[in-house]
Amino acid sequence: MTKPTCEDTLVVKKRDLKNDYYSLVLAPFSQAKSIQPGQFVHIRLPSTDIYFRRAFSVASVSPVKEEVEIIFKVFGRGTKILGKLCKGNSLDLLGPLGVPFSFPNKKERAVIVAGGVGFPPLMFLAEKMIEKGHNPKQIEFFYGGRSKAELVELSRLKKMGIKLHLSTDDGSAGTKGLVIGPVEQYLKKHLKEKIKLFGCGPEKMLKAVDELGLKYDIKGQLAIEALMPCGVGICLGCVVPLKAGGFARVCCDGPVFEIGVVNIAC
Amino acid sequence: MPADLKCKIAGVEFANPIMTASGCAGYGEELAQIYPLSNLGALVTKSISLKVRPGHPPPRTVETPGGLLNAIGLANVGIDRFLKEKVPFLEKQKTKVIVNVAGSTIDEYVEVCSRLNDCSCADMIELNISCPNVNEGGIEFGTSPKLTEKTVAAARKVFKRPIIAKLAPNVTSIAEIANAAEQGGADALSIINSVIGTAVDIDSWQPLLTNINGGLTGPAIKPIALAMVSSVYRKCNLPIIGIGGITDYKDVIEYLLYGATAVQVGTALFVDPSAPLKIVKDLKKYLKEKKLKSVTELIGKVRR
Ligand SMILES: Cc1cc2nc3c(=O)[nH]c(=O)nc-3n(C[C@H](O)[C@H](O)[C@H](O)COP(=O)(O)OP(=O)(O)OC[C@H]3O[C@@H](n4cnc5c(N)ncnc54)[C@H](O)[C@@H]3O)c2cc1C
Ligand SMILES: Cc1cc2nc3c(=O)[nH]c(=O)nc-3n(C[C@H](O)[C@H](O)[C@H](O)COP(=O)(O)O)c2cc1C
Ligand code: FES
Repeated sequence: MTKPTCEDTLVVKKRDLKNDYYSLVLAPFSQAKSIQPGQFVHIRLPSTDIYFRRAFSVASVSPVKEEVEIIFKVFGRGTKILGKLCKGNSLDLLGPLGVPFSFPNKKERAVIVAGGVGFPPLMFLAEKMIEKGHNPKQIEFFYGGRSKAELVELSRLKKMGIKLHLSTDDGSAGTKGLVIGPVEQYLKKHLKEKIKLFGCGPEKMLKAVDELGLKYDIKGQLAIEALMPCGVGICLGCVVPLKAGGFARVCCDGPVFEIGVVNIAC
Repeated sequence: MPADLKCKIAGVEFANPIMTASGCAGYGEELAQIYPLSNLGALVTKSISLKVRPGHPPPRTVETPGGLLNAIGLANVGIDRFLKEKVPFLEKQKTKVIVNVAGSTIDEYVEVCSRLNDCSCADMIELNISCPNVNEGGIEFGTSPKLTEKTVAAARKVFKRPIIAKLAPNVTSIAEIANAAEQGGADALSIINSVIGTAVDIDSWQPLLTNINGGLTGPAIKPIALAMVSSVYRKCNLPIIGIGGITDYKDVIEYLLYGATAVQVGTALFVDPSAPLKIVKDLKKYLKEKKLKSVTELIGKVRR
């Protein structure tokens, strides 16, 4: 694994994805080329009021331009500040951090389950899989949100040629209801195939994906979130309980864990 | 000539006065991925107890203005695994190692200290008689002068190298506790451990930490810690390691002026794991600007 570094980067591009979602492209980050899907960067906010960094999954990288993209939703104090940044502003980045997803082998079908703002690392995963030669038609991307407005970057996902399955709580786009319904239906229909599950999203969704994996005996990985004071494994503040007992640090033992390992609370 | 950053505590020489604080750098492995530990004056380990401690269930931390509330619960690998799994790594590092020791009974402190006496990698030990995060022991030792003296004296009998007593701020008179630690045979004092605090969620009306109370650390506690260092410096003869809210070289200088010989950086490592490197660099520059030959010339020089 590459050593994490701490570097000052500039906002080279900012996109308003509507409904409080933003994309920021930060550069130059010397480690951009080594960042793998599932890994995150820890960002220091340009504010004296907020002391701790905030973690953001990497949504894409451009190795040549040493660019790192993050996509976030304005949620609280930290993301509010990030949402107000403009092209040319500087940001202190620590990374790459965390254990990445492991790529499925090319014969396996990837069933990806993204909930809300959990989609950026999964979009990165799908993109990298295709880059490595995975057939996009073998990537089933389930993407759920509260409403149509909460599903962002749809044209980008469509362009990748993957099989996109949308769902919304209110039925304003795709299937009505939680994303987990269509996922289970899909799994039931394809039980004979070799499948790998991947998930990132709210805890309730992660717990449901974990249960599906165990119920149908399908292996896979989940990317988990936690409050992360340090992000590098030294504070023990980000732990989650393990089913086998004890705790694991989300920042460096994760954030990607195998299905069935973490005792997901919600 | 470059300014001299070396300092000495109880006969042990440190390359510079900047150490990591216990519980804020694990056992050194993670920081060593980022920079060589030889940049540090010393690495202070997470508290080691007799048995493995898994720690408290999450949530363990809450961000507060200028600080962090934590209730980690002394999660650590225990002395057996520490000696087996962590010491081989620590032995290879070119820095001084201070092993922090915690216990819930005096017997536990004694057992851990005597095991460490046989481990040459522990240049010093730091007795944590002040952790607010365990319900038994911990802070009780550090809030009673009698128990402080007894605990230090018991460790003194079995550990032959220098002993540091780490004091709690949640006491009526920290100087009294400091003197008790000196009576017990301590060689130096670490001042302070975290300050007891809590926080509540105003929607659910539930405490934000599973453990309810936690320890407050970070810039928010610096003025409290400085006042305690100053008070102990005037009333007790032992060398002091100042701790609390140190983020940059300016904080370090304040501590030295109030009487600390060295300092530990804790919470600031979470924001910037390389903070000690920057502090060392800036400290050198400051000494040069002030035309001082050695960092020790600052100790206790506050003009009252
Ligand atoms: C591995 C990982 C990947 C993530 N990826 C994304 C992503 O791709 N997109 C996205 O939008 N979000 C992502 N997040 C969440 C993001 O890091 C922010 O925490 C979240 O958006 C809220 O931050 P805020 O400052 O806006 O909210 P705040 O209102 O400041 O935070 C909410 C609460 O959490 C507390 N808190 C926040 N951070 C910390 C901390 N480090 N230590 C202690 N307390 C803290 C605050 O005090 C507050 O009580 C990720 C988190 C993790 C751990
Ligand atoms: C997450 C965390 C864990 C800690 N664990 C310990 C510990 O195990 N033993 C100990 O003596 N002090 C522990 N401390 C206290 C620190 O060593 C230090 O005294 C305190 O954080 C004040 O310094 P700071 O403001 O620079 O963080 C811990 C502090 C934090 C923030
Ligand atoms: S965030 Fe500090 S150990 Fe994970």
